[in-house]
Amino acid sequence: MRSLMAKYAGKLHRDRSIARGRVGIAAQDDVMLSDGPPDLSRLAADVLSRLSCLGVVAASPSLPFAEYLLPRANAGAEAIVPLDTETRTFLHDIPILRREKLAGDPAAAIAALLSNRKGVIAEGVGIVASGPVTLEQAYIHYSSVFHACYVKYLLDALRDGFLLPGETEAFRNFRETFLRPLTAEGLSFRAGPLDDPEEVLSEIRAAGRYTVERGLVDSFFGNISYRVGGTIFISQTAASLDELAGCVDPVPTDNRSTTGITASSELLAHRRIYEATGARAILHGHPKFAVAMSMLCEKKDCPVKDCWRDCPDIRMLGDTPVVAGEIGAGGLAARVPPVIRGPGKAIVYGHGVFAIGRDGFGEAFRSMVGVENRCRDEYFRRLDARMRRTP
Amino acid sequence: MPLRQIMLVADLSSGRMRREEIPPELLRAYLGGRGLGVRLLRGRHTLSPFDPEMPVVFAVGPLCGTPAPTSARLSVVSRSPLTGTVYDCSAGGRFAWRLRATGLIAILVEGRSPRPVVLAITPAGQELLPADGLWTKDVGATVGALSGRGSVAAIGPAGENGVLFSNIMMGEGNAVGRGGLGAVLGRKNLKAVTVDGNLPVPVADRGRFDRARADVMRLFRASPVIFGELGISEYGTPALVDLMRQRRMAPTENFRRTVFEDSSAYSGPAIRAAYGAKKVGCYGCPIQCKKSGADGRHLPEYETVSHFGALNGITDLHAIVRSNDACNGLGMDTISAAATLSAWGEARGRFPSPEEIGALLSDIAHRRGEGNLLAEGSRRVAEALGKPGLSMSVKSLELPAYDPRGAYGMALAYATSNRGGCHLRAYPISHEILRKPVASDRFSFSGKARMIKIAEDTNAAVDSLVACKFAFFGASLEEYAELLSGVTGDPRSPQGLKEIGERIWLTERFYNARNGFTRADDDLPARFFTEAGTSGEGIDVPPIDRARFGEELTRYYRIRGLRDDGSFPDDGFLGRQP
Repeated sequence: MRSLMAKYAGKLHRDRSIARGRVGIAAQDDVMLSDGPPDLSRLAADVLSRLSCLGVVAASPSLPFAEYLLPRANAGAEAIVPLDTETRTFLHDIPILRREKLAGDPAAAIAALLSNRKGVIAEGVGIVASGPVTLEQAYIHYSSVFHACYVKYLLDALRDGFLLPGETEAFRNFRETFLRPLTAEGLSFRAGPLDDPEEVLSEIRAAGRYTVERGLVDSFFGNISYRVGGTIFISQTAASLDELAGCVDPVPTDNRSTTGITASSELLAHRRIYEATGARAILHGHPKFAVAMSMLCEKKDCPVKDCWRDCPDIRMLGDTPVVAGEIGAGGLAARVPPVIRGPGKAIVYGHGVFAIGRDGFGEAFRSMVGVENRCRDEYFRRLDARMRRTP
Repeated sequence: MPLRQIMLVADLSSGRMRREEIPPELLRAYLGGRGLGVRLLRGRHTLSPFDPEMPVVFAVGPLCGTPAPTSARLSVVSRSPLTGTVYDCSAGGRFAWRLRATGLIAILVEGRSPRPVVLAITPAGQELLPADGLWTKDVGATVGALSGRGSVAAIGPAGENGVLFSNIMMGEGNAVGRGGLGAVLGRKNLKAVTVDGNLPVPVADRGRFDRARADVMRLFRASPVIFGELGISEYGTPALVDLMRQRRMAPTENFRRTVFEDSSAYSGPAIRAAYGAKKVGCYGCPIQCKKSGADGRHLPEYETVSHFGALNGITDLHAIVRSNDACNGLGMDTISAAATLSAWGEARGRFPSPEEIGALLSDIAHRRGEGNLLAEGSRRVAEALGKPGLSMSVKSLELPAYDPRGAYGMALAYATSNRGGCHLRAYPISHEILRKPVASDRFSFSGKARMIKIAEDTNAAVDSLVACKFAFFGASLEEYAELLSGVTGDPRSPQGLKEIGERIWLTERFYNARNGFTRADDDLPARFFTEAGTSGEGIDVPPIDRARFGEELTRYYRIRGLRDDGSFPDDGFLGRQP
C-alpha cells in the first residue's frame, strides 16, 4: 500500500495538478496509513476514518481555479456544476465547502459531503477525493475535479473577466509560467503501417505515454487504438494512457469474439472512424483548451438545450469540426466519423479531441497537439479581446 | 402522510392470512428485499430449513414499481437446505413488479399446508387454492395453468422432491436459484405464488428522481460492459465466455484446468448465430441482458454454458441449451446441477456425456436411482463416494464459473460469502476482470480484504434496494441513493446505504455463527492451494498461496470487527440492532 501511495503522489506531481509537496494520501486496510505534509496527511486520514472507502487524496491544486470558483458561485450554492462531459457523466456536480463550514471539524464536514460525491472543494484546503474500491480511484477522482475546475474556470473567466483580488496576476502567472509550449518535437514515432502485433502494442504504449508526458491528457482521460487487418488493438476501459502494458485489447472487427468487452467505451467510435477513413491509428484525449473551446457557441435563441448531446450542427474551430455526442453508446460514434475523414481530427462538445493517423501515431499526435495549440491561441485571443473591451 | 408498507403473512398450517404494517423504522434500517427478509428471520434463524415454522420471505425493495432502472426485482430469504446458512436470492422478471402492484412489499410464508396449494394474491385480497392437480407438473405447465392469475413463482418436481439445489422459478424464466429454496417451498406444500395488481407506486420528489435516473442512464451508456457493442445488453452474460477463456480462469473438468480450448462453441457470438438470440429481460429494465431464441426459448446464462460446457468437458452447444431447458423445467439450479455432475464425474473417472445429462437431470429432480444421491449436491456426493476433496464448493455451495486462482479477490469473496461459494456477494469480478469502476490487480491480495468488505456491504444494500448487480458496472450507490431519496423523499447517502449493508451482512454472519459456522467454513477447496491452473499465453496461474490467503482472511476479520477466528467478540450483536 505504501508503494501505491508513493506512486499516485508521484503521478500528481508529474502531471502538475498539485502544488509542490502539497498532497496528503491516506489508505486503509486493517490499519490506517497516511503520507504527505502533516496537515493534509492528517486530514486525509481523518476523512477516510469516517468513510467506507479504501483511500482518500487531499491536495492543494497547482492552480487556484477551484478556489476562485467558490466566490464566483452564488452565495447559497452548495455545489458547482461544470458541464464538461466527464463531470456530467461521472461527477454530476462538485460539492463545495466554504471556510466557515470548515471551522469546527473539517474532516467531518468533508466526509459528510464525500459520503455523497467522489470529490469536494474545500475552501482554503483544496480538493479532497475518495476511492471506494482502490487508491487509484481516489487519484482519478482528484484529477477529475481538477480537470473540471480548470475547464469551467477558463469558460467563466472568458465570460465574466477577472473579479477577485489577485486574480489577474494569478491568471497571468498561469498563462506565462504554468503553461508550457505544446509540441511533438523530440518524440519518436514508428513509421507505419505496422503489422506486427508486438510492434503495434509497443507503439501504442509509447504514444499513450507521450500524451500524458506532454500534458495533452491527464493519464486516464482518453483512449488509443491501432488497426491491423481485421483486428483493432484498443486501450481498455479506465486504462491510464501512460500505463498501457497489459491493458490493450485485440478486438476482431467481425465481432466473432467478445473478449473486447473490457475495451474502451469508445470502441464503437473507433470502429466507425476506421470504417469511414481507412486510417490505421486513432488517438483520443481531453486537452483542456479544446474541451473548453468546444463548449462556446455563438448561436442565439437556439431551441436545443442539451447541446452536448443534441446539437445537430457541425461547428468549426479553425479547421477542426466540432460535433455533439454522448460517450459510449450515446451517439458520438455516429457523429464523429462523417466529419473526421477530411481534416483527420474532430472535437466532441465538452469532451475532447479525436485524431487519426493514416499509417501511424505520429500524424495523430501532431494533429492533436495542433488542435490544442489552436484552441489555446483562440482562447487567449478571445480573452484579450474581451479584456480590451471591459478591462 | 407516508405510505403504509404492508406485508402479507401466510400461515399455511392453519390457512390463516393477515396483512401487517411493517414499522417504518425497520424499513429505514433494512431498506427491503434481502435486508428486510434477513431481519424478519430473527428469532427463527436457528430452525431447520425444513422446519414448518422456518419462514420464507418474498420482499421487494423501495424502488420496485418505479421507473428506477433494474429495480423490478425481489429477494427471497430463508435458510438453505443445501448450505445450512441464511440464504437470499434476488430475481427479476415481472413477479416483483406485480407483487408491488398488489399493494404489498413482502410476503412471509410459514407453516406447512396439509395439501398442495397455490397462494394467489391481488389488491383485493389473497387466497389459498388447491393445487393437487398441479403437483408433479413441471414449471412450464404450472406457469401455463396459472397464467390467468398474473405473474407466477413456482416450483417444479425438484422442489417437490426436496432436491437441495432446487429453485423457485419465475414464470418469465428467471430463477430464485442456488440454495434450494424450491425445496423449502416444496416441504411447505406450496406449489406456486401468483400476484396480479395494478396499484401505482408514488414517487415523492419526481424532479430529484428523474435527474438521478438520467444520471444512471448516462453511466449505462458509458459502460462497455453494459451497453458496449460486445457487452451484456448485446450478448447476455455469455459475453463473458471469451473473456474468461482469455484470462485463463474458466473452470474446466471440475476445476482441474482453467482453459477449455473449445469454449468458443458456446460463446455469446456462437449462441447468437445458432439461436438468433434476441433481447429480453426484466420488467422495465433498459439493459435486457436475458436472451431468448427465435422460438421464444430462454437461452442460458454464462455460468450455465460454462459449467455444462467446460466443467464437464462438453462442446455441444445444443446439448448445453437442452440442459438449461431441463433444469428450468424441473426447477433446478444449473450451476449446482452441473457442478455436482462434474464432481461425480471426476470421482468415477468419467465426466457425463451430452447424451447422458438429460436423463441424469431428470433422475435428480425425481430422486431416481443415482439421482437420489446427486440431488444432495456435490459436497454430500463427494463425501459419500469417499472423495470429499472433489466437491468444488464453499459451505456446500458449488462454485460458479470464475476460477479463484485467476482472481484473488474472488478467492477471498468465495470464502467469506455468507451464503457459500457465490460470486455475487462481493462480486470482485467487476474490478478484477471487468475493470469497473476501476481495475485492480487480480493476482494480488493487497488491499483485497478491505475491498471485499466494502463490496459485501455495498451489495447487501444493493440486494435490499433491490437493484440488479449489473447496473453497477456503470452506476454506483451514489446514483441509487439519489433514486431512493427521490422515491421516498427521505435523503439517503451512499455511505448511509453501505452502513445498512454492513448491518445486514453482520446479521447474516451472526445467524450463521449461531448455526455452527466458524473460520473453518471460510475456506476454499484444497485443490486451489495445491494444484496450478492452466498457465500459458504469458499468463501464469499458480496455486493460491495458502499462507497469504490466511493472512488476508485474518485481516478481513479485523476489518469486520471480528476475532481472528472469525467469531463475534460478544453475544450481544443482535440486541444492538434495530
